[in-house]
Amino acid sequence: MSFTRWPRQQWAPALAVGLAALATIFLANGLWMKVLTSVAIFTLTAMSVALLYRRLGQISLGHVALMGLGGWVALRFSHGFSLPFELNLLAGGVVAGLVGVALAYPALRMRGLYLSLVTLMAAGGFSIVVNNTQFPNGADGFLGFAVRATAYMPRPVLAQSDAAYFIYCLVVTGLGFLLVHLHEAGKPGRAWALIRRSEATAMAAGVNVTLYKVWGFALSGFLAGAAGALLAGSLQLLDAHSFPPADSVMICALTIVGGAWNWFGALIAALLFRLAPALLNDWGLNGNAAYIFFGLALIHALATAPRGVAGKLEEALAAGNRK
Amino acid sequence: MAFWLFLMSGLAVGALYALGGVGLVLLNRATGVLNFAYGALGALGAMCAWQAMQWGWPEPCAWALSMAIGLAISLGFGALVAPALAKREPIVKALATLGLALSLLGVMNLLWVVTPRRLSLAYDALSIDLGGLRITATRLLALAAGLAVTGLMGLFLARTRVGLMMRAIAENREAAAILGAPIRKVEALAWGLSGLLAGFTGMLFGDLVRLDPAVLTFMVIPIVATTVVGRLTSIPVTFAAGLFIGAVESLSALAPPLAPFRLASPFVVAIFMLLWLNRGRALTFADKD
Repeated sequence: MSFTRWPRQQWAPALAVGLAALATIFLANGLWMKVLTSVAIFTLTAMSVALLYRRLGQISLGHVALMGLGGWVALRFSHGFSLPFELNLLAGGVVAGLVGVALAYPALRMRGLYLSLVTLMAAGGFSIVVNNTQFPNGADGFLGFAVRATAYMPRPVLAQSDAAYFIYCLVVTGLGFLLVHLHEAGKPGRAWALIRRSEATAMAAGVNVTLYKVWGFALSGFLAGAAGALLAGSLQLLDAHSFPPADSVMICALTIVGGAWNWFGALIAALLFRLAPALLNDWGLNGNAAYIFFGLALIHALATAPRGVAGKLEEALAAGNRK
Repeated sequence: MAFWLFLMSGLAVGALYALGGVGLVLLNRATGVLNFAYGALGALGAMCAWQAMQWGWPEPCAWALSMAIGLAISLGFGALVAPALAKREPIVKALATLGLALSLLGVMNLLWVVTPRRLSLAYDALSIDLGGLRITATRLLALAAGLAVTGLMGLFLARTRVGLMMRAIAENREAAAILGAPIRKVEALAWGLSGLLAGFTGMLFGDLVRLDPAVLTFMVIPIVATTVVGRLTSIPVTFAAGLFIGAVESLSALAPPLAPFRLASPFVVAIFMLLWLNRGRALTFADKD
């Protein structure tokens, strides 16, 4: 991997993101800090959805459920073993990654619509199961939930305050981007590129199709699970109603609107998902009215702009550079 | 005895899933679009009907309004957006209807503040007694409508010329066009019929489930589960699957460890069906989804 191969138009968005993050740290108050922390976290989720779409051509309608699972495992480990936050984060990611592997099993036999339906059904099932088990809040037993218990998940030692935790989430999301970039620049990236073109061609070229498909799902699940653990750390406890299949569907739709082919497409998706409704509410409008725009934007993106908002931005920047 | 009671009440719930599923399969068979906006169409119809009844419209007019709204929006989407995506993969078409669903949900959230509402239909007052179990006429209406639509659609697809064209278009759009099938007209018919059904189903759901835009919009998820069992193409199998899932959901209330999870039955049944239908299949050399 080398950063010199990055096209020049990638630097402008990177700079903008950096400045926005700095401005947030110095200017945002409590509420907006929380909103932007969740933007950073959902960027990681959108990135994991985009990875599956971009590299394997699969559309997952269940990634918010994987986040919920990662969050559950992280809370469970945190209350059960009092481990440092980073290990809980990894545990959440690894378990969700394993579930990603389980999702890869149907993906070896189906793709496209049918596979999306499997993920959607899994998300629907998850929300019902978690509504019954609830998230661990420090009680005894395997489920670790009791109505009256309210133990909070400790945050990482380095990031106790909201502002520090925001930076922490940015760093983890950045590491996620790096992990994906390392994969795409290396051998798995080449294998995925062949698989997306044609599985038969990939096999003829000596690519282990099964291995790399499973690998892609595992990586995507890992990232979503880690995002769930970050969310658990942000709120320090989780609500069973926060992971409905509707949100899985929404983040997938917005990932396509934002643009699955650019790294900042995931960021745009998360901004639309978390910041846009909050801004609308702040301006006295009904935040849910943003759905009208989301829906139209999704149809527009599918019909005419397959690379999403990020793709359009990149074209504009490239055109600007040429002048 | 408890078994039969739960089975009957399960079938009553299943009738709703079945009716919803049949409308989805109808559209998918003719146009190859899995309509995620089906719930939103029904929700908008039911909300408008509720509003009309608040203004004192008679109930039949409210029914007509709900169905007219379903028809108009479905037809509009089918005429304006669907043709642009006709050559894309099924998943892209399905996602585009998701866009429609989100937009409709946004409109409903803007027009109606979230608050508990009730849609009461005249049929709620009527009921029959089956061995101690009271079944309202609204549920019977759902079951009868599901049966009627299944039967009529079967006849329509098998016996009429338009039905034949629909099947031909679903099989191969290009080839059907070459053979002279008026694709746009037939597809518009399918969109219209399915929209009409969505408006009708929305009224029943609004009455029997809950009159809430988000709840009704995302009711489409368990309904999609029933269509999966019929491979998104078989109307009778979808209808039977709806009843079966309703029965499983209701009967698992009898098994205490399963009871809290019974609402997950549509998803569990659908996942196992998908895995079973695709057993032993290797994707590497497959050309279709």
